[in-house]
Amino acid sequence: MPKVTIDNKVYEFEGRPKLLQFCMEHGIEIPYFCYHSAMSVPANCRQCLVKVGNPQVDRATREPVLDDDGNPVIQYFPKLQTSCSMDMTDGLVVHTHRTDELVARAQRDNLEFLLANHPLDCPICDQAGNCPLQNQAYKYGPEGSRFEFDKVHKPKKIELGPRVMLDGERCINCTRCVRFTSEISKSNQLTIIERGVKNYPLTPPGVVFDEPYSMNVIDICPVGALTSKDFRFRARAWEMSKTPSIVTGTSRGSNCYYWVKDNEVMRITARTNVEVNGYWLADVDRLNYRKFNDARPLGPDMVSEGARVSTDWDGAYERAATLLRGVSGDEVLFIGSAHASVEDNYLLMKLADHVGASAPVYIPHVEAGSGDDWLVTDDKAENAQGCERLGMHPVDETVVRARLDSGAIKLVYVMDEDPVASGLFTADQLKSVDVVLHYYNTTNETFPVANVSLPAATIVETIGTFVNDQGHAQRVRPVKAIQSMNRSLMMETGLSRQDRHATPFDKWSKAENKVNCQPGWVTIPEIASRLNLDLNYKSPKAIMAEIESSNPAFSGATYDAMGLTGARLAEVGTTV
Amino acid sequence: MSGHGAEIVTLPKINPADAIPADKLVFTAEEKAQLQEYKSRYPEAEGAVMRGLWFAQEKFGFLPPEVIRLVADELGIEYARAYGVATFYTQYYKQKMGKYVLDVCTCFSCQVCGGYDMLHHLEEKLGIKPGETTDDGLFSIQGVECLGACGSAPMLQVTNGPYVFNLTEDKLDALVDSLRSGKMPPFTSVTLPQDEEEMGGNRRSDAAAVATYQTPPVAGAVE
Ligand code: SF4
Ligand code: FES
Ligand code: FES
Repeated sequence: MPKVTIDNKVYEFEGRPKLLQFCMEHGIEIPYFCYHSAMSVPANCRQCLVKVGNPQVDRATREPVLDDDGNPVIQYFPKLQTSCSMDMTDGLVVHTHRTDELVARAQRDNLEFLLANHPLDCPICDQAGNCPLQNQAYKYGPEGSRFEFDKVHKPKKIELGPRVMLDGERCINCTRCVRFTSEISKSNQLTIIERGVKNYPLTPPGVVFDEPYSMNVIDICPVGALTSKDFRFRARAWEMSKTPSIVTGTSRGSNCYYWVKDNEVMRITARTNVEVNGYWLADVDRLNYRKFNDARPLGPDMVSEGARVSTDWDGAYERAATLLRGVSGDEVLFIGSAHASVEDNYLLMKLADHVGASAPVYIPHVEAGSGDDWLVTDDKAENAQGCERLGMHPVDETVVRARLDSGAIKLVYVMDEDPVASGLFTADQLKSVDVVLHYYNTTNETFPVANVSLPAATIVETIGTFVNDQGHAQRVRPVKAIQSMNRSLMMETGLSRQDRHATPFDKWSKAENKVNCQPGWVTIPEIASRLNLDLNYKSPKAIMAEIESSNPAFSGATYDAMGLTGARLAEVGTTV
Repeated sequence: MSGHGAEIVTLPKINPADAIPADKLVFTAEEKAQLQEYKSRYPEAEGAVMRGLWFAQEKFGFLPPEVIRLVADELGIEYARAYGVATFYTQYYKQKMGKYVLDVCTCFSCQVCGGYDMLHHLEEKLGIKPGETTDDGLFSIQGVECLGACGSAPMLQVTNGPYVFNLTEDKLDALVDSLRSGKMPPFTSVTLPQDEEEMGGNRRSDAAAVATYQTPPVAGAVE
């Protein structure tokens, strides 16, 4: 196998990888800006310089030339090379800044050039604290600058489109954003205009940067030149925690980070998962986070003597159990949810089975024709595939409506759904029956007719498994704390700097932003135990372990196997 | 440096009104065929972008966004790409220019030899700033990057045509006067050192006219 020597250490490689990509994959850090694994290599930032050479070979004998000590003589390229554009060949000898002073100096000087006209407005820049230019300037750059003259000034508040703002001065002209529009999204809405110090990216006149994937350029911009109109100036990077999870509103389960400050989701950015979403996210998937912050219930409540009264959790569990006790199994319609995790739906199935009802159905959320061929799917629910694999089926509207109208259904048990808003029933139809409702938002249209309502933890407040439309099973982690949970004790939650270093008495711990809700894997076992069914698992992990071992459709989907990037399940009906 | 203050780059108008009326914004069948011929010279359509833009500038006089878009559509390339190319080169006029465009080089060598002084002299003389056009529509001035004649710095180019070398303020005054009377400066060629033999030891066809400039034969200078 061909070999390469990097900083005096020998590595083997296959094919013809680019040197920078190879170093990235082997934990050898080299500073860089313009390179992106998914796009073409323009080698324009010049930050990734390294010294490279090949062992000298005697032309006559074809033998390597050795020096007096018997070591091969290396013939170095006359100039430093950009590692991002360097094809690796057998025998290549590479020196990074770790083993070569000239490389270190070239990287330092290059940063001085990149900063010559950079405004250094980090104190008011959204990217500060999370900025490759800032980080690398600290790490590899000079301490000062020899460019002691007025900087070139460029427009700073350019609305490129409805979602993306540009600060021309901060741009280092790496062309990543332009390459994204020409190579990845193919919208071709951006170009670099002018030249030299006047360069910056812009839409040509008459074009608005409004493509449905426009916000990806904010993620890949290595400086703070491109910012999100939605997020601008709302939080500093170090005030937020950043937790890996998946987005909602699509059945693709694109991987993302949720950024949380004071227990409110502030923004969603892309997380790389080559098997699911690559490096990208659709704009709609980034902007639908307000539902996690706004219109959240204050706590459980129930209808008592005709009036809605708030209650404590025990009161709500008891009421739900009482309602279930009062009817026979075939009089209950259980509605599970394609928005809820596999674990929660599984527990609901067990509860339905225990009371003698037929298996829960789920309400599909398919909007035909609304998807694209990329990350936006027709199916707007996150876990229809997980429901199917559990053996749940989409609700047969005509049948259940007829049963409701004929009085055959006396109790509708709804978990994390809104049958009124989705058009399954009207609110009036539900007035004649009892309704138990687990719900996310007070805007839920079934909520006004529910007899007992239990605020449910959303995907950002729970632990669970979701299966995307391609059969990729992925775990979600709690992103923000709920009232019953101390975020630093929940080991899975992403922690911000404040979480780690501050006390709960500091001003940024806003208790009022903690929602009084509970995940299904807490509430359903509570109700079940009042009906003499023991569903107390140690954790969602244990629930999933049971599903994995008992249901072949989930074979391989243990928490450990899913990890951060998920596990691809075999297609239903096939075995691995 | 002489206190110009910071350089300010301005934002181009995002939605300018069309400068060319819709009925004029067309290529004739012959012109279209010509553009296709340019396109066929390159392995990819994008290769023809510069020739195509130049062709359109010759036809329309300048390249407002709608013309750039027309060229891009005709060549089957991306409008954004064509716009980026058009803005890169000062030789493509993005707006209507004066009859005479004076491109004063303010790049390294010319700057050191007084390029900015020449530009400022023109600014004062014509009462316009770089990028502007005189009210009579006769002159536009621009500060441009190296035009590849550093050996005769400072220099300027007239309307993408002849170069005027070794500028002085007097020379600029004379140039403006002669242009006002409709007289373009003559084309001057600068040859390579190996041709100096043929040119009597001088490398420039206007050697006789340029008192300040006499290239000693290379061989002699090296001695
Ligand atoms: S705006 Fe950002 S991504 Fe685009 S060229 Fe400038 S630095 Fe690169
Ligand atoms: S990453 Fe190599 S030149 Fe930019
Ligand atoms: S610097 Fe002016 S022509 Fe080269």
